[in-house]
Amino acid sequence: MAEILGRVVATELKPSTPHQFHFWTTPAAPCGIGAIVRVDHDGRTVFGVVTDAMAYADLARPLDAVIGADGDPSRVGDEPTERPEIRLWTAAVLRQLPEEPMQPVPFGAVMLATDADVRIALRMDAFMHANGGTGVPVGLYAAGGLSAPVLLDSDFLLGPEAAHLNISGVSGLATKTSAVTFMLRSIFETFAPAKGTVAAICFNVKGPDLCFLDQAATLSSDDLAMWHRLGLHPGPATDFTLYAPYKPDGVNLNTLRSHPALTANVRPLIWGLREILDFAEVVLNRDDVDAKADALIDFLAERVVGKKYQAAELRDAPFTVESFADLDEFFRAIFDFLETQRGADVWRTHHVATIRKVRNRLGNIATRSKGLVTDDATASDLPWGTFRDRSTTVIDVAGVDPLAQDLVFARVISRLREHLERRDLGVDHIIVFVDELNKYAPADGPDTYVKRMLLDLSERGRYLGLVLFSAQQFRSQVMRRVTGNAGTSLYGRMDSDELAMPGYAVLSPAIKAKLASLPKGELMVRHPHFTQPVFVRFPRPASLSGREGVERFPPVADLPFADAVMQRLRELDPSVAAEAVRAALDGRPEAEVRRALSATTQRRPEDPFAFFRALLRRTIAVLPVEPRRGIAPLSHDDSDPFAPY
Amino acid sequence: MTTTLHALRRRLTLAGGHAASLTAIAVDGRRDEATYRPATLIDAPLRHIAVGAPLAWPGDVGFLDGTQHVDLVGYVGTQPVVSAVVRAAVRLRIDRRLRSAITMVRRVVVARAEAIAALGALPDGVEPIAIDEDDPHPLRDLQHARGMVDRTRSRLEVAAARAFRARNRERWLIIDGGISATPEWGADPWVLGVVKSHAMLPFAGEELAIYLALPRGHRTSIFMPASRRVTPLYSWALRLHDFTGHDLFHGLVRIEAPATDETIARADRLSQHLLAEVAPLSNDARADRLLYGIHDVERYLNALGR
Repeated sequence: MAEILGRVVATELKPSTPHQFHFWTTPAAPCGIGAIVRVDHDGRTVFGVVTDAMAYADLARPLDAVIGADGDPSRVGDEPTERPEIRLWTAAVLRQLPEEPMQPVPFGAVMLATDADVRIALRMDAFMHANGGTGVPVGLYAAGGLSAPVLLDSDFLLGPEAAHLNISGVSGLATKTSAVTFMLRSIFETFAPAKGTVAAICFNVKGPDLCFLDQAATLSSDDLAMWHRLGLHPGPATDFTLYAPYKPDGVNLNTLRSHPALTANVRPLIWGLREILDFAEVVLNRDDVDAKADALIDFLAERVVGKKYQAAELRDAPFTVESFADLDEFFRAIFDFLETQRGADVWRTHHVATIRKVRNRLGNIATRSKGLVTDDATASDLPWGTFRDRSTTVIDVAGVDPLAQDLVFARVISRLREHLERRDLGVDHIIVFVDELNKYAPADGPDTYVKRMLLDLSERGRYLGLVLFSAQQFRSQVMRRVTGNAGTSLYGRMDSDELAMPGYAVLSPAIKAKLASLPKGELMVRHPHFTQPVFVRFPRPASLSGREGVERFPPVADLPFADAVMQRLRELDPSVAAEAVRAALDGRPEAEVRRALSATTQRRPEDPFAFFRALLRRTIAVLPVEPRRGIAPLSHDDSDPFAPY
Repeated sequence: MTTTLHALRRRLTLAGGHAASLTAIAVDGRRDEATYRPATLIDAPLRHIAVGAPLAWPGDVGFLDGTQHVDLVGYVGTQPVVSAVVRAAVRLRIDRRLRSAITMVRRVVVARAEAIAALGALPDGVEPIAIDEDDPHPLRDLQHARGMVDRTRSRLEVAAARAFRARNRERWLIIDGGISATPEWGADPWVLGVVKSHAMLPFAGEELAIYLALPRGHRTSIFMPASRRVTPLYSWALRLHDFTGHDLFHGLVRIEAPATDETIARADRLSQHLLAEVAPLSNDARADRLLYGIHDVERYLNALGR
């Protein structure tokens, strides 16, 4: 039997109800906001979580204290009798046993909850069984020297009952990235195989945050103890791949994970015309996409791109549009044709103004997203259809243009959805982590494609196994329907202004005060099984943070074109000779080299250099042009003004 | 007590009586008639004596008080039946914290014997006390009943003090009110009484003017109260708080102690200790005279319910 902490007290003004009760303790009692307590009385057990606290003495008025101390605050401690002080706690009911009939909390003794109590109070007994269950550790509940693992129900975290996780908290206090990193590890280790396979795709949107998830961090003994208490094995991501677009030079990857020791599992992310045409709406602003432009884009996608398109009025030979360059050639042919038709401004029902607009916008994509979008037909994409169970894929878009970021989000999530609908993604559940949600799904602002897509994901993703883990500093600034669909919410330290928003009105002032000063590694958890928010501590993730990663593996400076090509080839085959590469590149146009390099890195052939060299166009020796033989020219007489030559 | 009172009223009704209530009884305390009882000065003339700076008691101190809650149950015929809960407690202060040392309670029914008999068996723990005065009169019987409850409480306080003394040989015991209730107190060198009521004044005329003009932090000369002849006691007035701008009695208490030379010798020191008790201030309308320790006992007893 646990030690008695306090006792329920009820008055007419502060009565016990079925959802709330009050209890008093001594000032020294190890109780605090967020503590889970248990009340036993006459065969009824009530579990509650402390949501508010008060302390007061028997003073009728503050003035009495002044008078009693003769106006001298330093004399207060000299009083022969210490005033009695009460600690009066308010607790919200988590669970009552028996559950029916639901009655006001009885006036029983109050004890701190034990491990077993926490399981029952948070209804974890519903999904945790002796032979396993669907529990996923989220952290340790700790109070009064006791600590107990708190688990989330994976059926409510990854679907199908509910899904999605949203994290709020100010930056830099181990809230968002650390919590997600820990949660991914926890899910990968505990998600029941019978429930299917699971993988994660994380969008790295700022700095090196998620670039070193596969690199082990040094943990303190306290952190290790927490890992073990949660029944987890600390470790970095084991099956990790990072995708990053190239920089505009087309050979240096646009990521801070560029240290030579870590490039083995870094892949380029390159898309061509075919890959992005379906998502043209993402990069065209709302005003651009009228019905006419839409019709033209559909026409291009269905009839032109990737096919042999015959338009006799434009030219005799059919068009083969595979790249932006091909597309531009196609558009130029249309304009040339229209110029020859005096007064004509329509080509096959498409007005020339519409054609010009679509040409400009699509042409801009290749410019603004240079490095992600190639001007040729080569592409290096995610492993659609072959995602592995418990694998982590990071897509580093931190350094790219916001337009390109939108494009990446839209295409990746749309493709994930398509594959999951067909059940051919390679895994049954995919977790998509999106940071800075207030940027991509803001509460106000224009209705963008990305915003609609995130909303669709949050509302319908769970049926497919498409799970959104999202994070933001200010939850109130995120579209409510997106956060509202998150079955589980985590809150780290919050800004006071944010806590003043109406969305937090359900929290008591004490809970808000605790949230505003939450230490590193502590979270408030809301989960469908928990009737009240619960505070937990989670251990430091066992992988390097972004800051640690760049300190231990400093990014290398951008290499000159030839050196970068050589390094990329050496990543595939370290024995590639520098001189041979330089000789192969000598005099080659960079676009041609990029195309060959992209195809090589994508195919990963046995002999990368030979493959690469074979893709370069054959060198044709320059032959000196000899003067033609024939009739000798007539002699030229400059003095004869009538001479014919 | 609510349950007991309910049970008593039920019995009364079954006995053919009339249930009734008189709220005022419950809150009435003892009432002393305003009068003069000239005292005998021990160290004449009557004067103001500065006692020195407040000084905390050197050791643990006990505080004794008693409470009574009186209810009119009803009438058997014309005879009133009164129920009372009487409590007494000593709270001992150790390391600046007060905790219960002794707690006693008595539940009584006071009425004429016939009325008690009409009630039949009383609820468990309730003792009958019969009014045996002549000439039954409903209102006078009520006064008798209240007096008997007063005496019951006084006896319970004595019993509580005795129990405390049995365990605490040389610890100061501060009693709320006078200490004439028993010769035991008058002979106990570790007992002090603090009287808040000034209905009975020990001086008249010019001496009274001196008596009531006592400045803060001063005591009067020691005198022997006239009303304490059975148990001879020494007494002196002590001003705890400045009365300027207040009533003449503001902050004025009368201390009672055993009538010994030792008391005379240490009257200043005891006054210094009592002056130290002005802080913390009691959360009570009588805070100017009510020592916090006594207030704590009273609150403790009230918190035990009826």
